[in-house]
Amino acid sequence: MSTFPLRIGTPDGLLYEGEVARLVCRTINGDLAILPRHCNYCTALGMGEAHIILEDGSRKNAACIGGMLSVMNGTCHVLATTWEWEEDIDTERAEDARKRAEARLAEGGLSDKEYRIVKAKLQRALVRLGVKE
Amino acid sequence: MAANMKAVKLRIKSVESTMQITKAMELVASSKLRKAKERADTCRPYFQELYRTLQEIAKGNTEFYSVYVKEAVQEKCCYVLIAGDRGLAGGYNANLLRCFEEDAKGKMVSVLPIGKKAVEYVRSNNLEYVTDAFAEIADISVADCFEIASILCKEFRQGTFGHVELCYTRFVSILTQNPESVPVLPLIDIAKEEQGHNEKERIRNLILYEPNGVEVFNSIVPEYLGGLIYGGVCESVASELAARRNAMEKATGNAQDMIDELNLYYNRERQAGITQEITEIVGGAECL
Repeated sequence: MSTFPLRIGTPDGLLYEGEVARLVCRTINGDLAILPRHCNYCTALGMGEAHIILEDGSRKNAACIGGMLSVMNGTCHVLATTWEWEEDIDTERAEDARKRAEARLAEGGLSDKEYRIVKAKLQRALVRLGVKE
Repeated sequence: MAANMKAVKLRIKSVESTMQITKAMELVASSKLRKAKERADTCRPYFQELYRTLQEIAKGNTEFYSVYVKEAVQEKCCYVLIAGDRGLAGGYNANLLRCFEEDAKGKMVSVLPIGKKAVEYVRSNNLEYVTDAFAEIADISVADCFEIASILCKEFRQGTFGHVELCYTRFVSILTQNPESVPVLPLIDIAKEEQGHNEKERIRNLILYEPNGVEVFNSIVPEYLGGLIYGGVCESVASELAARRNAMEKATGNAQDMIDELNLYYNRERQAGITQEITEIVGGAECL
């Protein structure tokens, strides 16, 4: 299987550096797969599940939230705000966050800014739980 | 004679207590430094990657519709000035502010200070500032950085200023920290910076933006700015602690030298007193 170099960076450090056969993630425009020999490309990431297929065909799932994706001269850079591998996700914490956010939304009476924050929290929790399932 | 000796003794005591303080500060700084250095180290690849990627994009850019990319109309420049919270860190704050002054000379500036010293500086010089809500660099988190970024982006879009620069201290090693000022927005500025370094590489890479350039930049730039500010904060905090540790180490050494010297002086005085007393006794005995 042909591969391409991929680097995944977040403020918590460089999470992945190496050859992969395929990268799938959610962008602001919907899901997207990057395969080897992609043309130069740039887009913004949305919130959603992502996975990479390694050279040997094994698959690694992750939750990807915000950031950018660029392909430059065959090298793919993913600079995400958060990128968590499936095994690193804390289900209990995400479940807690989901419940808390849902309760606050149900309560109502939030200002616009608070509403956006709570909604973003809920979305993040849902993405994390979705990856775990 | 005796009064002089007492004064010397008091002075030794006071230097000793100062030394204790500097020693304690050194220890505190070095234990904090370890954590800060780790944070800066984990964050650095992201910081560099982000800047390099955006630089490449800017270099190959053929999209001039987004405000974040095209040449600025407004001359005014906004500096994100990251300094420390406290003094007693050698030349750390002074060096950074000097770097800022040199870079900002002759420009119309507006500042977004981070850290107490930066806020104080801005106030005492009557500079225009965007917000002073981020006075404590010690409790700045990633979320705060993204908030700063969104404030900056909003102002930038409204045309309050045409350039954004990041002024911070780069942590090279425990012994060296360099203050520097890097252009951040618009993206064409960072492409210019690169071209200054190597003139040869002028080939444009064509890039496909999806869904379109304006939207991509609108969602990327706040993230990029936030990431860059966070990187700057991590580096600056590590630099501040390293600078303080070095300054305090030197201060402790100097205090020790001073104590040694004073002790020598004190002993000499004491000896002189004893000798004089003996001479007096012997002289008195001879008279009898």
